[in-house]
Amino acid sequence: MTMEPLISLCLVGPRRSYAAGDELVAEYQLDAVLADEVQAIEASVLWYTEGKGEEDMGVHFFERRLPTDAEDGDLRPLRRFRTTLPSSPLSYAGAIFTIRWCIRVRLFLRRGREYLQEQPFTLGSVPAAARQETAATA
Amino acid sequence: MPRLFRLLEKKRGERRTGSNLVGSVGEALLYGALFMLGVTALSTLVAVHFWQPQSAWYSVGVGFWLMVVVLSSFVFTGGIGLIWTVVRLGISAERRSALATHASALDLVHEAMPRSKSHPTVPSFDGLTDSPGTDLAYRLPSSQSPGWRLLAKTIFALLWNGIACVMFVIATKSWLEGAPQWFLTFFLVPYFAVSGWTIYYLLQQIWIHTGLGQTAVEISDHPLFPGREYQVHLSQAGHIDVKSIELWLTCEEEVTYRQGTDIRHELCKVFEQQLLAQGPVEVEPSKPFRVTCTLPIPAAAMHSFQSEHNSVHWKLVVRCAPAHWPEFERRHPIVVFPGEATLRAVVTPAQTGQATRGQRSAAASIEVVA
Repeated sequence: MTMEPLISLCLVGPRRSYAAGDELVAEYQLDAVLADEVQAIEASVLWYTEGKGEEDMGVHFFERRLPTDAEDGDLRPLRRFRTTLPSSPLSYAGAIFTIRWCIRVRLFLRRGREYLQEQPFTLGSVPAAARQETAATA
Repeated sequence: MPRLFRLLEKKRGERRTGSNLVGSVGEALLYGALFMLGVTALSTLVAVHFWQPQSAWYSVGVGFWLMVVVLSSFVFTGGIGLIWTVVRLGISAERRSALATHASALDLVHEAMPRSKSHPTVPSFDGLTDSPGTDLAYRLPSSQSPGWRLLAKTIFALLWNGIACVMFVIATKSWLEGAPQWFLTFFLVPYFAVSGWTIYYLLQQIWIHTGLGQTAVEISDHPLFPGREYQVHLSQAGHIDVKSIELWLTCEEEVTYRQGTDIRHELCKVFEQQLLAQGPVEVEPSKPFRVTCTLPIPAAAMHSFQSEHNSVHWKLVVRCAPAHWPEFERRHPIVVFPGEATLRAVVTPAQTGQATRGQRSAAASIEVVA
């Protein structure tokens, strides 16, 4: 039986809500996996939509690391990344769709195996919207 | 292990709940099989044609070329599909999106618009500030194009009524020849009812389009920021008696999604505020109705947002009810940028507690590993 790798991902600091222009700092680390099993690791800060419509996504920060980018070819040790958050889109809980922000780490192992870990956060302070009237058209 | 046997998966836009690898391999196999089928069948067809030209099955004619076209489409679809699948293999959605963002940043058009870079998901307002107003800074364009809609309705009415005329002639001829077509005759009754409605509706639209004068909305500044107040000017030309005319500020969410082979749109109004309501008004060509009022944008308003399938639109809507005429509505889009109040972070005590607990557990797991 193969053990699944452990991806530890966290936002640095107690906050889960950020203002536009704030600096977001996050850390991730791998465990329960051999160093030579890791093919690549991608860290990103992104927004995506959820709801009735098709999902849209926008990547604000993206970093892809290969074993050649790390000391001794080992991508497992603690890695910290930081980015300044943009002014839009702000997190939004709408009536028929939602905009969510998150940090995401995607791990690629040998033989095409892929693992993903994400941590949500809020950007801005737009209050939730209430439905008033709906009209659907084909 | 259970995921190997999952037959039904939930689709979340481009993401799926199933295994990406299994999906990609399945897709590659499908396109590969289609390509191989196309190549094998096409080469067999061509080879038989050259080696046994007398064969009745593959003789040159419409059938032969039809087969060539169909089989070539197999080869083309399979080949392109396979290449597309292979190119996407092993590339995450985030990496594709990051590459697309990087590519758009190199675009010369985007280079000329620094606003797009600072607010990439706020729709462009360039087309909204092209036209200067006479009373205020900008005249807003209408989001609808009544000319095209009228043309589409005219074409529909012409086609429907043209077919009605042909069927009427056939039915009349059958009666005159003493062999009445009963089904056609009865079918013509509801068909003519719809014909009458299309003619009435078309005339109504022509009256609205030509009889009513222009509705113009002007605004003191653009783009708009939440928490600020602006001036808006409304003028209605023409020669009509108006029972009521209203100006509204609205915010709508709009989403697009696929349902089977259909692409559907859904609109949902999330904010509506009346800015102006005027009672009976007489509009004359020499004296158009003109009024200026205040446009307050709520401090906590969501900014305008536009992505491929989801959007938040702000609009100024004019609703007019003329006497003896059908009511009409004209919409003028505006762009609202993120406001100071909504750009701030809000941390409630509950969130702080949750965040601290989450942080502790995550930090603990890292410490254990380290």
